[in-house]
Amino acid sequence: MNVVITPTMVGQVIISGLLSGALYSMVALGLALIFGVMRIINVAHGPLLMLGAYTTYFLYSGLGLNPYLTVPVSMLVLFGVGLLLERTLIFRVVDAPELSSLLLTFGISIALVNATQLAFTSDLRAVEYLTGSWLVGPFAVSKPRVIAFAFAVGLTGLAFVFLKYTRTGKAIRATSQSREVAMVCGIDVGRIHLLTFGLASALAAAGGALIAVIVAIQPEMGQVWTFKSFLVIVLGGAGNYPGALVGGMLLGLVEQLASLFLTTQLSEVVAYVLLVLVLLVRPTGLLGGRQT
Amino acid sequence: MTKRSWFAVGAVGAGAAVLAAVLPAGAQGPIRIGASLSLTGTYAKLGKNQHEGYKLCEKDLNAKGGLLGRKVEFVMYDDQSMPPTGVRLYEKLITEDKVDAVMGPYSSPITEAVANVTEKYKKVMVSPLAATTSIFKKGRKHIFMVISPAEVYLEGLVDMAAKRGLKTVAVVNEDTLFSKAAAAGAAELAKKRGMQVVYQEAYPKGNTDFSALLTKIKSLNPDVIAAATYFDDAVALTRQMKELNVNPKMYGVTVGGDLPEFYDTLKTNAEYIYGATQWEPGLPYPGNKEFFESYKKDFGHEPSYHSAAGYAGCITYAEGVRRAASLDPDKVREQLLKLEMKTAFGEYKVDQDGFQLAHKMVTLQWQDGKKIVVWPDDLAQAKARFPAPPWNQR
Repeated sequence: MNVVITPTMVGQVIISGLLSGALYSMVALGLALIFGVMRIINVAHGPLLMLGAYTTYFLYSGLGLNPYLTVPVSMLVLFGVGLLLERTLIFRVVDAPELSSLLLTFGISIALVNATQLAFTSDLRAVEYLTGSWLVGPFAVSKPRVIAFAFAVGLTGLAFVFLKYTRTGKAIRATSQSREVAMVCGIDVGRIHLLTFGLASALAAAGGALIAVIVAIQPEMGQVWTFKSFLVIVLGGAGNYPGALVGGMLLGLVEQLASLFLTTQLSEVVAYVLLVLVLLVRPTGLLGGRQT
Repeated sequence: MTKRSWFAVGAVGAGAAVLAAVLPAGAQGPIRIGASLSLTGTYAKLGKNQHEGYKLCEKDLNAKGGLLGRKVEFVMYDDQSMPPTGVRLYEKLITEDKVDAVMGPYSSPITEAVANVTEKYKKVMVSPLAATTSIFKKGRKHIFMVISPAEVYLEGLVDMAAKRGLKTVAVVNEDTLFSKAAAAGAAELAKKRGMQVVYQEAYPKGNTDFSALLTKIKSLNPDVIAAATYFDDAVALTRQMKELNVNPKMYGVTVGGDLPEFYDTLKTNAEYIYGATQWEPGLPYPGNKEFFESYKKDFGHEPSYHSAAGYAGCITYAEGVRRAASLDPDKVREQLLKLEMKTAFGEYKVDQDGFQLAHKMVTLQWQDGKKIVVWPDDLAQAKARFPAPPWNQR
C-alpha cells in the first residue's frame, strides 16, 4: 500500500495543478470582477459556466463545429445571457444588502440548473473531440488540458489588457474603486455594471466550453465551480483581479499536491484549511482585498 | 360475493362482526399490491424502469388468470427518491389503503427506511432493487433480496484476472455506501485468490480530477485496476487514465460500465473496459426473451436490469403466494425462504435472512461498440479481449 513518491510524480502533479489552476483563475476572474465592481456575490457563476458548456456541446454535436472554435461563440451567447440577467434582475439588488444579492443569485442558479435539467435532461454528455496526452520526457501532458490552459492564459491576459489599457476597462476599474467618484467623473455606472456582468458571464462560458472537452457535462456541474471560484478569490483577495490569478494557480497546485501526498479525499480538506489559514493571517487575501 | 364467503360470515357469527366485515370485502376483489417508487427526483430514471417492471408483471399475472383466482392490481405512489416520503407512503399503503401485500421500493437507502415499516406490520416485502447486504442482516424477518449484493460486483474481473495469473490489483472507489462495499468485496476476493492489493484509495463523490490518484497508481503499475464507480466518475476516471497513459492489463468498473451511455460518451476509449451487471437482455434465462420483447412493446424502450429485477421480484413473490396458497405473510414467508426458481432475471434462492445467494452477476466487456458478456464462462457470449493494449496503441 506504500507508494514511493518520486520527483517525476511530483513533477507530473505540478503540471496537472498548473493546468487546472489556469482554468480556475480565468473562471474566478469573472466572479472577482462582479464582486469588485458591483459588490454582488454571484452564486449563479457556476451555472452560467454550465450554460457555456452546453452551448459548446450543442454546437459541436449539432453543427459539428470544432469545439475550440465554439469558445468565442459560447462567450458571446453567455455575454448576452449576462446582459439580460443584469438588465432584468441583477441591477435591482446592486445597492441592496449583500444578503439580497446572495438570495437572488441563488434563485437564479436553481432556476438555471432546473431549467437545463428539464430541457436537456440530466444525462451526462461529452464532447469527445480530443483525448489522450503528449508524452514529454517522463511526463504525460493531457492534450485537452494543455489547450484549455493556453486558452485560459490567453483570455485572462486579454481581460487584463482590456481592464488596464482601454477606456472602458479603466472605467470598470474606476467604478470598482469608488462608484460615487466614478459617477461624478461622468462614468455611466449602470452601463459599466451591465458590461461587467456580461464580461464575467463570458469568462465563465469560456471556462465551461473548455471544461466540456475535458470532462463530461451535466446540469449540476456548475455548483462545484462556484465554490472553487469563491475559494480562489478569497485566497487571492476578493475584488483584487491579479489575486484571482494567484489564488487559482495556488488552488490548482494545492489540490494536486495534497492528493499526491495524502489522498484525493483529503485534498479538498487541505484547500479549505488553507482558506481558513489565509483568512486568519491575511484576512484580505494574499494580495489584499479591494481598496475601499 | 359467493355463497361460500357468505357461509364464512355466518359461521364466524355475529360476535365477530368486525372481522367478518373485513373478510368478505378482502376475499373477493383483486389482490392489491402496494409499492412506492422513485418516479421523480434523483432516482427517477431507474425507479421508473422498476415501476414498468411491476406493471408488466401485473399484466402477465392477470393474463394467466391472476393469483389464487383473483386479479392482481398494483397500487403505486411516487416517493420522490426520498426515504422519509417512502416511509410515509408504506404506512399509508398498509394502514389506510389496506393493501394485501407490498413490494419493495427503488434503491438501498429507501428500502432500508421502509423496511422498518413493513417489519412493524409483519408484511412480506420482496425488495428487488436493494443491493446493500446490511439491510438483510439486521434480523428482519419479512424482507427478501433479489439482486446480487454490492460485494460481488467486481468478482468476475478478479476471477478472470486470477485465472490469467495476474498478480497485482489497485482498487479505487467513490466514498459512498454501495461503492465502498463493492471495493471492499473486490479487495477481499483478490486476496483470497492470492493476488496482491497494491493500492486502495477512496475519492469523494462528484470528484472529476483523478490526476494525482492515477499518478500514484501508475508508479505501481498494477496488472488490474478495479474501480467501484457510478457513471460520472467511471467516465472521468477512464478519460484520465488515457491522459496519464496508465495501462493496466485489465480495467473494470461497476455501475455505469453497463450503460449504453458509457460507450456513447467515451466512444472507442470504452473498448476493452469491463463492466458488471445484474442482468442483460441476451442472457439465456427462461422467459427472458419474451420479457424483453413485451417490455419493449409496452413501454417503447428497452428494459434495464432495474426493469427485469422489478419484474422478476414480483413474479417471485407471486410464486411464493401460489405455493402457500394464501396471502398470509407467515405462510408466504415460509415458501419464499425455501423457494428456488429461475426467472427472466436469473436464479433466486435466499438464506434464512432473505439474503440472496443464487443470483449471478455477469461481467461484460466493451468489444467493437457492443457489450459482450465474458463471465461467468457458462453464460459468456465471447472470450474476453486480453490484455488491453496500451492507450497509445489503440
